[in-house]
Amino acid sequence: MKRTMMMALMAGLFCLAATAHAAAATSGMTAKRINVTGEIVDTWCYVTEIMYALGTAHHQCAVWCAAGGIPVSILGDDGKVYVVLKLEDDGTNVANPAILKIQTHRVTVNGDLFERDGVKYLFVTQVADDKGVVNLTHAENGIQPFGE
Amino acid sequence: MKTIAIIFALAVMAFAPAAFAAEEWGIDGEKKARFEAKVVDIACELSGNCPANCGGGKRQLGLLRDDGRLLLVAKNFDIFAGGTVDLLGFCGQRIVADGLLIKTAKMPLFALQFSRLAPDGKWRRANKFTTEWSSSNGGKEGSQWFRHDARIKNEIAANGVFGIPGLKPSKE
Repeated sequence: MKRTMMMALMAGLFCLAATAHAAAATSGMTAKRINVTGEIVDTWCYVTEIMYALGTAHHQCAVWCAAGGIPVSILGDDGKVYVVLKLEDDGTNVANPAILKIQTHRVTVNGDLFERDGVKYLFVTQVADDKGVVNLTHAENGIQPFGE
Repeated sequence: MKTIAIIFALAVMAFAPAAFAAEEWGIDGEKKARFEAKVVDIACELSGNCPANCGGGKRQLGLLRDDGRLLLVAKNFDIFAGGTVDLLGFCGQRIVADGLLIKTAKMPLFALQFSRLAPDGKWRRANKFTTEWSSSNGGKEGSQWFRHDARIKNEIAANGVFGIPGLKPSKE
């Protein structure tokens, strides 16, 4: 009985590994499993620096942009920008209601990182910690971009 | 001030008569660019997980250039909107993309302003987001869509403009 269960488990693991390998082979890319801690940000405003784009000062604008389908990223504590393409079981990444709800939050996630042509794309497998909005920037920067 | 100028310029250009050539937006690192590329689902391109029709509007789309470079389309010609709605109809097809290639130390991005089916389809301004938003919101005017969108209003009502329930702007 024990031996049968062990063999079934081994077979399952083999199938999982084969599926992952097949997916990577199809795309020609290999993912790297990483942990990231940082702030959920709007990719456009943060990268282009068209306005101050962090914390409470930019929260409302970040919600507008996420609802408008602009890619959402995590600005890691390492200073790198990770574009989120998947959030746990949800493979949608345009105006995803779950992402809308964690805009500006400080999170710790783990996931699969794909790097291509200067962009870091992250498929988040788990949000391990969510501290909510903790970056208080509005006293210094007001409400971006219109002040209301 | 620069922010307001860029947003104002974008809003004016979005409703100006079409010239079908990229406009500068005054962003550091921007460069006008017109090129042919294939419209792809970015997550599919990277992971091999490929739903039908590039995810039907629920996935970020990109431009795969002939040299193999993949460009993330982060913006269209509408205020506070991305490029998926404008590109979805071209899923898997080659288009001529016209817009701004933005290169910064953080990462490269593309802002789509105009597109047409390659090689000589009809030019189209990349402002389909507000058009579709308007038609799915009872014909409301789209230029201020972000102030009238139900998803946004619900989120701000629940957590406030700062994202922290109960924290409100000071009245000065």
